Amino acid sequence: MSAETGVIHDIGYRRYTGRRLGRAQIVRALYWHSLRSAFGLGRGAKAKIVPVIVFVIMCLPAIASAVAVANGNPRLVPYDTYVFQLRVVLMIIFVAAQAPELVSRDLRSHVLPLYFCRPLRRMDYPLAKLAAFITACLAIIEIPLVLLYLGTIAQSHSPHAIWTQTRAFIPGLLVGLMWAVLLAAIGLAMASLSGRRAYATGGIAIYFFLTWILAGILIAVTQRNVVRSATINPPPGARPPGVPATGPIKVHMMTQVPTTASHLSGLVSPFTTLDGVRLWLGGTSKGALPGVGGYGALYGAMFLVLLAASIGGLFARYRKAGAL
Amino acid sequence: MSAPLTAPAGAPAAEPDSGAPVIQTSALSKRYPGPVTALDALTVTVAPGITGLVGANGAGKSTLIKILLGLLEPTGGEARVFGRDCQRDGEQIRGLTGYMPEHDCLPPDVTATEFVTHLGRMSGLPPTAAKERAAESLRHVGLYEERYRQIGTYSTGMKQRVKLAQALVGDPRLLLLDEPTVGLDPAGRNSMLELIARIGAEFGISIVVASHLLGEIERICDHLVAIEAGRLLRADTITSMTQVSQVLLVDVDEGSDELLAELGRRGLEPRRHERSLLVRLDGDATYDIVRDAIADLALPLNRLEQRRRRVEELFQDDDADALVTAGTGGGPSGGGGPSGGPGGTPEAPHVR
Repeated sequence: MSAETGVIHDIGYRRYTGRRLGRAQIVRALYWHSLRSAFGLGRGAKAKIVPVIVFVIMCLPAIASAVAVANGNPRLVPYDTYVFQLRVVLMIIFVAAQAPELVSRDLRSHVLPLYFCRPLRRMDYPLAKLAAFITACLAIIEIPLVLLYLGTIAQSHSPHAIWTQTRAFIPGLLVGLMWAVLLAAIGLAMASLSGRRAYATGGIAIYFFLTWILAGILIAVTQRNVVRSATINPPPGARPPGVPATGPIKVHMMTQVPTTASHLSGLVSPFTTLDGVRLWLGGTSKGALPGVGGYGALYGAMFLVLLAASIGGLFARYRKAGAL
Repeated sequence: MSAPLTAPAGAPAAEPDSGAPVIQTSALSKRYPGPVTALDALTVTVAPGITGLVGANGAGKSTLIKILLGLLEPTGGEARVFGRDCQRDGEQIRGLTGYMPEHDCLPPDVTATEFVTHLGRMSGLPPTAAKERAAESLRHVGLYEERYRQIGTYSTGMKQRVKLAQALVGDPRLLLLDEPTVGLDPAGRNSMLELIARIGAEFGISIVVASHLLGEIERICDHLVAIEAGRLLRADTITSMTQVSQVLLVDVDEGSDELLAELGRRGLEPRRHERSLLVRLDGDATYDIVRDAIADLALPLNRLEQRRRRVEELFQDDDADALVTAGTGGGPSGGGGPSGGPGGTPEAPHVR
């Protein structure tokens, strides 16, 4: 019994007569608070490690490209896929580490009643959290793209060249927006299932990695190996050793041809789904999928289903978890 | 410009309607699916001041609080806080109300200052005001330098104070405190109760204290509302409940056995109650008899007073008179009152 029975000095109670913010502004305050916590701001140095490292690594290809462009080379990285594998890995790490930061902590410490006994409405809480986390993912994805764009147009001297870059850049931003929205929604919905941070992080990472690897395996095994034969007649100097010096040669080539199954395999993972939507909408760079065949619309539908399920799950969770 | 200068709809903390009772419910019912009835046609009015909401665990206290905050829809009847309908104007009511939950609700890894400031923002305070009021609220509840430490390092008593501070930070007109002394040791309970009494008396904030420990909160309440199984058992002011009874309490430092026998010989029917003797009061003559008996025996008299009823006794089946004549057989604290606290709990502290 030491500190807790501290003497209470009479300093008098003062009423608050100042301005009061409405509900919309309270939601905005919660949005900013959540956005800051997505980057570990306002918390210890340890909380900033993952966001900072992810962000810096994500920027490296853009910086490398800017250096290359400055030395007269073409742009290294496409806008619509960026460096696909790198982006997948970094986003898995970011979402798995930071989504629980936004929602699991409040669940763990049972802070929610303190939110819901205030003017906020029940759905305002997940709304603010979702908006904040989408913004955080957008920052991680789009800022490197902006750097890539700026690094490229810095060396472009004609309006036409700048316009060409801009036309490639804008679809890249839209692809990034799709990534941010879908990954943030899935991450928060999964994180909101557990108050234990470790479980939430592990669950998100396992789901993302496993489905991604599964999609990769499925795509690989469902492609058909086709042996193509051709008769060629190279000139004498260009003939490999061991073949007759003159006359036509028959050659056999093994190639992989996508099948319906491999076109559909991408639907199992959010990342390949996102890539399928990109291809469907006219993306040209090589991403994770060999193509979507005629199933582009299916990828679009899958994207919407994943998004609706995540957001619906997140909001349903707070309709229930909100019980005081 | 004929529009009246009323508060805009978005202002959550408009001044409460003066004149309207703090809380008013009429035939308020809440049934959960299945045979569970949490509130059963509860009609009660709560006036400004400190009101104890007493009932055993599961009597419906928490359900009532949730309905008052507009977080739970009643299945029947209506509830009003400051004249506002709890279902329709929940947002406004929540802007006027501070709530201290029963259970632990504090994150361990932030400082009390950060936490209360954030919740001040969530109450609608602008950033600077939230900071100022967080510091003030924490000071009011007796947290000074400690407020810069992470909450995880706090004792239970300090955590309870942080919970109270977060309820105060938005300058509420009504505080709903759910079991504020839960988990505290006797000294911690006392200081928490003093703090609540002070907030009610000096800060001008109406307070509803829900508790299953009647003996504890009766000390600080102006009014008492007792509910049992979702129904109103009794609602009244403390003074009317603890009115003077026709029982004289005699307390001698030693020789109470001799006094018991002596009073019996002089025609009274004394009963032992704990360390004291109780005598039915029958006019001034009773005082004289007791005085003479003590004087003749030369006993050191410690206390001689007309006994006040303790509220706790009202909630027991037998009335105060029966209690007196029941004599030594158990005493009130052994009865079936709304108790049930953990061991060592001072369930019936001395009445002032």
